[in-house]
Amino acid sequence: MFSIELLIQTLIAGVIIGVLYALMALGITFIYSIVKMINWSMGEFYMIGGYLQYLLIVEWLGADLWWVAVPLSALGVFLIGYLLEPVLIKPMFTTAVERKDDYAIVVTIALLLMLRNLAAALGGPYQRTPGSNLPTVMLGPLPESGARFAAFLCALAAIALFYLLLKKTWLGLALRAAAQSRIGAQTAGVDLFRLDQIAFGIGVGLAGLAGALLAPVFMVFPTSGVVTTVKGFEIIVIGGLGSIPGALIAGVLLGVVESLGASFIAAPYQNVYGFLLVVLVLLARPTGLFGERVRQA
Amino acid sequence: MIGVALSFGDWRRPAAIVTGAAVLLALPPFFAGGFTLHLLTTGLYYTILAASWNLLAGFTGQFSLAHHAFAAIGAYTSGLLIRYYGVPIWVGIVSGVAMAALLGFALGRMVLSMRAIYLAIATWAFAETIHILLTAAYPITRGELGLNVPPLFRNLDPTAYYVLFVALTLVCVTIMYAIVRSRIGYFMRAIRDDDLRAESLGVDTTRVKVFVFTVASAFAGLAGAFYGHYLVVLSPQMADFNEMAKLIIMVVLGGLGTVLGPLMGAAPVQILTTYLQKYGEWDLVIFAVVVIALMRTHVGGIAAFIYAGLDRVRARNKQPVST
Repeated sequence: MFSIELLIQTLIAGVIIGVLYALMALGITFIYSIVKMINWSMGEFYMIGGYLQYLLIVEWLGADLWWVAVPLSALGVFLIGYLLEPVLIKPMFTTAVERKDDYAIVVTIALLLMLRNLAAALGGPYQRTPGSNLPTVMLGPLPESGARFAAFLCALAAIALFYLLLKKTWLGLALRAAAQSRIGAQTAGVDLFRLDQIAFGIGVGLAGLAGALLAPVFMVFPTSGVVTTVKGFEIIVIGGLGSIPGALIAGVLLGVVESLGASFIAAPYQNVYGFLLVVLVLLARPTGLFGERVRQA
Repeated sequence: MIGVALSFGDWRRPAAIVTGAAVLLALPPFFAGGFTLHLLTTGLYYTILAASWNLLAGFTGQFSLAHHAFAAIGAYTSGLLIRYYGVPIWVGIVSGVAMAALLGFALGRMVLSMRAIYLAIATWAFAETIHILLTAAYPITRGELGLNVPPLFRNLDPTAYYVLFVALTLVCVTIMYAIVRSRIGYFMRAIRDDDLRAESLGVDTTRVKVFVFTVASAFAGLAGAFYGHYLVVLSPQMADFNEMAKLIIMVVLGGLGTVLGPLMGAAPVQILTTYLQKYGEWDLVIFAVVVIALMRTHVGGIAAFIYAGLDRVRARNKQPVST
């Protein structure tokens, strides 16, 4: 039952979900390029973003004001990250931790367990949704769910804002400098610890934004971040760690491949196609499509 | 080569410790009830998993996040072969171990040239894919409904399983100890401390890494296959990332990169979480906080305290006796 219409619809669906996954990947890669660590609890910040969105809409704002709730949720997640960083991540640099990578993995995985179980203890295992009263959008002759389309547009806007922040502000300049060389940035008088704190906050804030935007599309529950995190990491491996364009391109690529696989091969295995893509890319280029090439020693 | 390199050195002290442990572990069936034995059996299963993961992460510096998946691979290989081809249980278990070793070998080859962070991501993606495959391929694996597998013993006597797992754990841990104390063990630690330096000094890092990946995966597959036939019902939960997080907690609490660490950490954490379950999810919240605090203050874990105590006793014995 192959048809051009189905193909186009599949491609559009793939691009839309791909951009939202890319938001997640952007957060991971951004934190990595500044703080030089992988945050394994990204999915839990995504989950918190979803819960904040749910609480704001159901308890306070109502479904019509979803566009007010989204930036508030992202801001809330940013603040949580901003406050946690000095406690959890900063010791990586201030104390003599022998193996920094291992420390970061263990601490963020412990944080993952803590946040996930905290959510389950406080909110129960129920699957919630803030609901959405956005009408279905017609893209030409093809219908697309309103909530999905709105999430897509907001994600694009957020990526544009993020780009402006990096390219046009002093903070952006400092961040780009730290990404190139931490010592260099420090020599130039940048307060690295403060920068780490802000970068960590922005990174998890991006995940929280994705969580808030996708709250009406997927359900909100304690482990709702798992699938999106898998995608985020797959995108990172495909696009290359530390590359922002890589994250965007790989995000769309992954979304399209999954969509095509789900429509034309078999739907239950939707989440496996991404991994196949990862294996193919890794076999050809072990550092991803746009990854930095690291010299040893 | 590898077989020859495994020399025990002085075998008397390890032998004495193993005998002592066996005697100690043989006591519970005489006074403990069925539920306690079940708890201890589960604890021993996690001990094998934690100890073999420690070979990878603690001794070789290969921070794999796919170890729990190999237990699931072992269990499901055995279960599926028995269900669809009617092979005897022991053939199922042997194939489970072989399959885990094979996939461990393949994964080890794939992540060989990766830096620590890529390695963690790639192994994690592998584990999640196994998890998703087991859930999604429900026409074959029955997904979340659970796959029924035959029990090892005809009667569901917890004592028999407990004794079996004690024997398994002792054998596995002894082999691991031998590996750590052998030439390969030194190579492993050299790779962990400085990969490039080890290579420049003539260590065949490729072979050692792939060897450790294969062996550790085989141990996980072995534990998983036996545990599967003890549980009688397999579910994709075995490959859930929570299991890996639990293993990390066990090893870090016990002491990463020490022989004693996983043995001290695994069973107690498993038993504590079971008893704390009545408080809902709060137990894992607390464990997570403790692990974070430990990482910030005492990276050595419980094992470091014990080793420090032993050193103090030894130092005291060496002092000349006065009066």
